[in-house]
Amino acid sequence: MTTEQLADLSRVLYSPTTLALYLAAAFVYLYALTTTVGRREDRVRGRRAQAVGAALAVAGIGTHIAHEVVRGLAQSRFPLGNMFEVTSLMALVGVVVGWTYLTFIRKRGELNGFVLLGGALVLASALLMYAEPGPLMPILDTWWRHFHVSLLVGAMGIFAAGFVFNGLYLLRDTGERAVARQREHGMHGSTVGAAYVGDLEAGSEDGSVASDGGLTDRTTDALDPTGDDDGRDHDAEYRTALRAGVSPVRLAIGTAIGTSLVAWVFVYSADTVAAGLGRFVTINLVMVAAALLARWFVPFLPSTATLDGLAHRTIAFAFLMWTVGTIAGAMWAEQSWGRFWGWDPKETGAFLTWVAYAGYLHARATSGMKGRRAAWIGVGAFIVLMGTYLIANYVIVGLHSYAGL
Amino acid sequence: MSERERHGPAGTLPPVRRPDSAPPPEANPTIRRPPRGSGSPGPLRFVLDSIAMGWRWLVRMKTALLLLGVLALQTAIATIVPQEPNVRSTVEAWRAGEEGPGAPVARVLDAIGAFDVYGSAMFLALLLLLFLSLTACLIPRIRAWVRLVRRSRPPLVRSVGRHDLVASFATDRTPDEVHEAARSSLTERRWRVRTADGADGAPPQVAAEKGLWSREGGSLLFHLSFYVLLAAIVFGQLITFEGQVGVVEGDRGFTDTEVSYWTYRPGRWFGPEQHAGWQLNLDAFEVEWIRDPTAPGAGQPTTFRSDVTIVGADGEVSQAVIEGNRPHTVDGFKIHQLDWGYAPRIVVEVDGDVVYDDFITTIALDRAGFRGAVKAPAADPDVGLDVFLYPFAPDGEPGDPPTLTGAPWDDDPVLIVSQYRGDLQLGATQQSIVELDTSALELEGGAFVRPGQTVTIGDVTVSFPELRRWVGFQVSSRPQIPWLLFGSALLVAGLIPALYAYRRRLWVLATPDGPRTVVRVAGRAFQRPERFEEEHSRIVAALAATTGGTPVTSPGVTDPDGDTSAPAPAGSTSEVMTR
Ligand code: HEM
Repeated sequence: MTTEQLADLSRVLYSPTTLALYLAAAFVYLYALTTTVGRREDRVRGRRAQAVGAALAVAGIGTHIAHEVVRGLAQSRFPLGNMFEVTSLMALVGVVVGWTYLTFIRKRGELNGFVLLGGALVLASALLMYAEPGPLMPILDTWWRHFHVSLLVGAMGIFAAGFVFNGLYLLRDTGERAVARQREHGMHGSTVGAAYVGDLEAGSEDGSVASDGGLTDRTTDALDPTGDDDGRDHDAEYRTALRAGVSPVRLAIGTAIGTSLVAWVFVYSADTVAAGLGRFVTINLVMVAAALLARWFVPFLPSTATLDGLAHRTIAFAFLMWTVGTIAGAMWAEQSWGRFWGWDPKETGAFLTWVAYAGYLHARATSGMKGRRAAWIGVGAFIVLMGTYLIANYVIVGLHSYAGL
Repeated sequence: MSERERHGPAGTLPPVRRPDSAPPPEANPTIRRPPRGSGSPGPLRFVLDSIAMGWRWLVRMKTALLLLGVLALQTAIATIVPQEPNVRSTVEAWRAGEEGPGAPVARVLDAIGAFDVYGSAMFLALLLLLFLSLTACLIPRIRAWVRLVRRSRPPLVRSVGRHDLVASFATDRTPDEVHEAARSSLTERRWRVRTADGADGAPPQVAAEKGLWSREGGSLLFHLSFYVLLAAIVFGQLITFEGQVGVVEGDRGFTDTEVSYWTYRPGRWFGPEQHAGWQLNLDAFEVEWIRDPTAPGAGQPTTFRSDVTIVGADGEVSQAVIEGNRPHTVDGFKIHQLDWGYAPRIVVEVDGDVVYDDFITTIALDRAGFRGAVKAPAADPDVGLDVFLYPFAPDGEPGDPPTLTGAPWDDDPVLIVSQYRGDLQLGATQQSIVELDTSALELEGGAFVRPGQTVTIGDVTVSFPELRRWVGFQVSSRPQIPWLLFGSALLVAGLIPALYAYRRRLWVLATPDGPRTVVRVAGRAFQRPERFEEEHSRIVAALAATTGGTPVTSPGVTDPDGDTSAPAPAGSTSEVMTR
């Protein structure tokens, strides 16, 4: 095959193939999530749906990896040289790690829908930065750089998964709080509620006794009154109440504000204001749509403790990768530019992100900050991550300039 | 697990959150002692009290979080606002209002030190506070940790009812045999084990603990590594040296002495006597591009390579290749190839006298050729040439000037020379290597010059006999690097257990129940409960296997302490207790 054919093939593998597979897998998994609350036969169907989702996800991961390989062949280099390639790999790592972690380690496959949806969004956003395959500046083509960039990009993907879990945690928690407030006001009577303490006990890892979801879920399971028609009606009522607890208007506005904190870069960097605004509005609409979709799934989410634990574990892992990756970057800079740290925009951004996530880890380890506040800091840290990534690439280009921008 | 999960209680809305019945373990014990004052009121007492208050403020984790937040804010400013040490020209443009948000805003930014965040007093103060807070936090933590490591014994329990994770099985072994088996199996798994025979009021049991050194110890190591890094950075600033110099191909080389650098940046403790006096000659500089305009990445460079000859301080001659990612080290100085440009040789004659004959260094402009300058004070009045070099400028139509392509390869070079007379103001104003200060110069005329040509502009003759290249080398000495690496290694080595180790306790209680023995294994994890759940069931399964345990069938096992909240043990898998 000629280089051009390889380039075309890599593009087709990326979009529409991988994109469609991720989206399909996301929706099948999301369907499977809705079956986890309900009758036994629903759960059987849910299990089948999860198998289908897994097949689609694996196929998507396969075509995504194939895309990376073909692109690498088309340009005879490691595909980590420009923002498109970096973002694409970020999506791949996020999906592979998130999916593997949820499916095999935490055994919570039903949550994969959100990971795949997030992966699809990152994948689509990379198309905004699409660049044809091409060679790399010789100074960039070293083993050190690949090591450094791979670690940071991998960490970005995993931070993205952690952001998804933090977002879901906040949604679920908001819903539960609203329901609890209502209950306090005596609008609904509680009869057997006491049996479900565990489900609401937002314990976090360090401290509270009925802490992580893995434990509490079982408690409630032992007392699961599935099959009881009366219970199902109440179930539905509870679910509606949970969903209603999250104001869609506030969620949409909040998401738009958060997204705008990052997406303004596209207005700034586009060739024409109209094109920039187009991108800005598109990104905002997509993010708001994703947030509202997530809101619809609030009643089917696992306990807040589980979501909090998932967010913490993913972010802790990514923090470690980020730390090692940044150190590797400093070592490469010493090799390449003769200074290990120069507060170049990207270095500053990497440091800022590191500090922001250290803030999250500290908040989560502090008793007065656990829970919502820590989760908000985690969301803020992700905004910092994406903001510095885009600013350092589009607004202030330092020594770390990529080709093909 | 997902299978059995329940998401919302049926038939009711859930109750409000309850406070935890068990206080969480103090992972970060704070020490609150009354300040040791003299007892009498007075200024001394006031000072002591203030210090004690300040210390207590510093010890709080929220303070650390706040300080980290301020650090993040300052870094954010440094990301958005150009930084003077990095991009001086951009900062000047901001100050002048040509770029950025305008001159008034720039004045405010300047006042708060936003153009040099990392050199500002505010940043230093923050750094100091951070390290004070860190110290304030670490001293009690280290003390507590040492105490823990030296003295900690797993606590005994009266009843298993209060613990999260309980699994039970029945066996025909005696309780003592079970305890012995548990002890040896846990010791083998490197748990800290304590056995109790019932003499101290608690029922006979094996209590065990693990992970208490590593998590907290890792966290301490991680935070302590900041001191190593800080020390390396501060001392590094003092003992480092960095200089830059341009060397023309095949021309006279460069000797490592204080005066021969173009820019010279020594640390305060770096003395000129530390220059060893080695020499560097640039034999050849090779540069190549993707010249095919249709190829992907067209115009992009593919090779930068300097072949150098080095004469060491001891007179030893060696050859070396220096490339982008391959610096060369001579006598402890690292030489990096950072920059390059064309170096045309220019000869200037006035009235038949040669007033200038040398290679000039030109630097690349953004896609528009290279720029350099000739300054010839030997003429009277001074001669200055403003030189633009276009490396690939083929001839245009007859009568037209050459076509100036932006291509950087020297297939068809041309110089555009503008000739000035007057006062160069050498020594009077800040001079740039590549630009003239034209404020006291008069433009006399200009011309295109091809290699080998000689042109006359006014009464000045300019020739361009040959084109070479020059390379900008950076020479640096950074003895702090091994210490930085050491600090980074400590940081990572501490971070891994700080994030991954988890502290957990386990109790094995075997009690006679009729002819058999009922064994209960209770466990509690302070972190990572999902991980512990697996570990717990593995330990239970192993213990059941070595003691021939079978699942308990009758649900009516009574708790020795009459704790009725204990649920019916069910099989050898772990089970959560409702409280
Ligand atoms: C102002 C200085 C600092 C103080 C006083 C401080 C204090 C602490 C304390 C008390 C803990 C233990 C939390 C616990 O397990 O209960 C901790 C954990 C931690 N700190 Fe710091 N810290 C400081 C700065 C930093 C910085 C600059 C970073 C890195 C960016 C950092 C990263 C971490 C990490 C990763 C943990 C582990 C969190 C966990 O256990 O999940 N700290 N810090």
